Amino acid sequence: MSALLAQMEASGLATWVRESPSLWAYPTILTLHSIGLGIVVGASVIVDLRLLGRARALGSADVSGLYPIIWWAFAVNATTGALLFAADATRKSAQPIFLVKLACIAVALIATLRTRPLANGSDLRPGRGTGTLPAVLSLLGWLGAIAAGRMMAYL
Amino acid sequence: MADSLVIWLQSTALSQAIVSATWIWPLAETLHFVGLALVLGVAGFFDARLMGFFRHVPVRAARELMPYALWGFALNVGTGSIFFVGHPEQYVHNLAWWLKVGCLALAGANAVVFERLVAARALPLGVGDDTPRPAKAIGAISLLAWLGVLYWGRMLPFMGDAF
Repeated sequence: MSALLAQMEASGLATWVRESPSLWAYPTILTLHSIGLGIVVGASVIVDLRLLGRARALGSADVSGLYPIIWWAFAVNATTGALLFAADATRKSAQPIFLVKLACIAVALIATLRTRPLANGSDLRPGRGTGTLPAVLSLLGWLGAIAAGRMMAYL
Repeated sequence: MADSLVIWLQSTALSQAIVSATWIWPLAETLHFVGLALVLGVAGFFDARLMGFFRHVPVRAARELMPYALWGFALNVGTGSIFFVGHPEQYVHNLAWWLKVGCLALAGANAVVFERLVAARALPLGVGDDTPRPAKAIGAISLLAWLGVLYWGRMLPFMGDAF
């Protein structure tokens, strides 16, 4: 495993991400990771707060159009995250906080899949599943992922 | 002028407390990212509706969560002030920081123009309604301005010596 990670870190792509002085390398990848974070978490906040009853008119509206945006932005972050990981694979893989981040992302993603069927306005009626639990888990999962991601730079 | 402000800020007890407590900076950064997501998500969703996207959502409903964007913005003004007071020297001579402030000013002025000139016409629009051209322009400018704020904020360490 550690040999594989070292090999990944020594690859041409990982070396370019880590060592290139170009603004297109590390800075741009990190910026895309931040923009993706803002879109994924920001769009999730809308569908989650809606399920938690924080917006009455939005409750009867169809917000399913936000989900493709969440998935695309998440794809950007999975890709840029993989590049940032490869550039520093041996150190990051040894950080417990990195595993915490991955676990938080997994919780948030599963919760988001569970909120998707409630995104059409007509689905949100008394007596049906309210989506409270997945909405709360999504918000907590993304919050944990942000906090753990930031801590990776300090621990 | 800028340099004397830097020297004065650095001499304050508040600035020294921010720098010497190791946990303040990472905590403030985490909250800064949370605020960023609230602003970009909630305000960006309304911007996108003004641009004519998400027509399943009435314009007024798309703005319903805006208080959360304002809370996120307040969080970022607060945590941003902590960064500035803690290490003013890494911002005042940093081009990326001034471009970030410029994008913030653009977003603010754009919001004032929306409230004064476009809101009365745009807010009553319902499901399926397209938005008038001025609303589309306002939404696009707002979205680009906030993305600019994020972009130049992320560029702070790469264009200057900020961290």
